[in-house]
Amino acid sequence: MSREQYQVPTTGSGNTGGGAFSAPAPRDYAGESGGVMYYMCGDCAVRVPLEKGAPIRCQKCGARVLYKERTKRMVQFEAR
Amino acid sequence: MPHKPPTQEELERRKIVGIHGETITDVTSTDFPGHYPGEEHSWDIDAFRRGFSVEFHQNDPYEASFSLIGCDASIANAFRRIMIADIPTLAIETVFINNNTSVIQDEVLSHRLGLIPFKGGHEGLHNFLKWWRKPADESQINNSYYDFNTVSLRLEVKCEHNDAAAPNETDPTKLYKHAHVYARDIEFCPVGRQDRYFSGADAIAPVNSDILIAKLRPGQEISLSMHMHKGVGSDHAKFSPVATASYRLMPVIRIERPILGADAEKFARCFPRGVIALDKVTKEDAAQRGSGYEGHEGEVKAVVADPMRDTVSRECLRHPEFKDKVKLGRRRDHFIYLVESTGQWESDAIFLEAVAHLKKRAQDLEKQVVNMVR
Repeated sequence: MSREQYQVPTTGSGNTGGGAFSAPAPRDYAGESGGVMYYMCGDCAVRVPLEKGAPIRCQKCGARVLYKERTKRMVQFEAR
Repeated sequence: MPHKPPTQEELERRKIVGIHGETITDVTSTDFPGHYPGEEHSWDIDAFRRGFSVEFHQNDPYEASFSLIGCDASIANAFRRIMIADIPTLAIETVFINNNTSVIQDEVLSHRLGLIPFKGGHEGLHNFLKWWRKPADESQINNSYYDFNTVSLRLEVKCEHNDAAAPNETDPTKLYKHAHVYARDIEFCPVGRQDRYFSGADAIAPVNSDILIAKLRPGQEISLSMHMHKGVGSDHAKFSPVATASYRLMPVIRIERPILGADAEKFARCFPRGVIALDKVTKEDAAQRGSGYEGHEGEVKAVVADPMRDTVSRECLRHPEFKDKVKLGRRRDHFIYLVESTGQWESDAIFLEAVAHLKKRAQDLEKQVVNMVR
C-alpha cells in the first residue's frame, strides 16, 4: 500500500456516537512476502505457517497463542 | 659503646611475624637503612643473591607450587599481580549472533562464551598471534581482522526430538538431540596461516570440553560465530591466564617446652595432618639436663614435621595445657606460591613470563628516567 492510499481513521469527526469505523484498505501481504508468515506456537514451540486470514491457531496442538519469530538479522555483542 | 653486629639467631628472629592468640605482631619488614642504628641494610645485589632461592614443591602443567625464599613482599606481590593481570591470553571477545531462540539471553550467552578458557599450539598463541586494536575509524573495523590477530569460531546447535528414545524416557539428554550445549560443540574455523600453527593437537579448542553453555528444548536453536583476540587480565578477568595465583607466608611452629604423652597427641590434632609428628623421647633427650625430658624416656613427644602444611589456625593457642609451650609465626621472606593455570600457558611458564614482564617494565622505566634527567 502506498502512502497516498492511506486514510487516517476519522471516528470522532461526524458521528461521535461511534460504531461507524472505516477500516483502511486491506494490505496485500501475499504480494509482499510469498503469503506465508511463520510464527512460534506458545505451547509446543512448533513453527506454525499462517496464511492471510487463516485462524490464529497452532496446527499441531491447537493453542491460540502464537509468537513472532526472532529477527533474521545478525546481532553483535561483546563477550563481557 | 661500640655497636655489636646482630647474631644469626637475632637475624632469624627479625624475619618472623609473630602470631598470638588475639594479635599479630612484627608485620613490617625492618631490613632497610636507618632502622637499626649502626647496621647497614641498604639493598645489595650480592647480599640478595646469597640469600635468595627458589624451591619447587609441585610442577604440573596446570598447577604449580613453589617457594621464593629471601625476597621482599613488594617483589613477591608484583609477580602475583603480573601473573593475574598482565600475561596475555586468547579469549572470545565479540559474538555475532545469527539466531538464539534458547531461554538464555543473548547478552548472558555472550558473557558465558567469553569466560570459556581455550588452549592451542604454544608457538602460534605466544609468537604468531599479535594484538588486535580497534581502529579509530569505526567504519574500518572490517579491515582490521587478520589471521595474525583474530581467531574465528562457530557454534551451530539445533535441538530436536530424538525418535529413538524410549517411550517413557524422562532424561532430556536422551529424549532430545542436543539438549545440552557444551564447550566441545564450539568449532574452530582456521583462516590464512592459522592452519600451520593450529592443526591437529594444536588446534584452538576449549580446555575443558564439558563446560555447559546452554540448555535447549526441541525447536530451539543457537547459531553464532565468534572472534577471539588477545588481551590481558587487567582489561577483563576472562584474559587472566591463572585461575588462582596466590602466595602465603611459610608458617613457623616452635615448640619451646616439651609436650609429652596424651598432650602430644592432642597437640598433633590441633594441626592439619602431617604437620606434627609423634616421636619417642630418646635416652639422649632424657639425659639432657634442663630440657624437660628428664625421667620421660620412652614417652611420646610432639615434634614439628612439616610446617608448610599448616594453615595457622591458632587452635593450639586456645588450650591452657599448651600455654607458653609453643610459639607460632610466619617467615616474612618465604613466599609459597600456588599458580593454577587455566590451560593456555604451562603454570611454571606463567611465572617465568611474569619475571620477564617485570624486567621489561623496569627497563622501560629506566629508559624514561634517563631521558627525564638528561
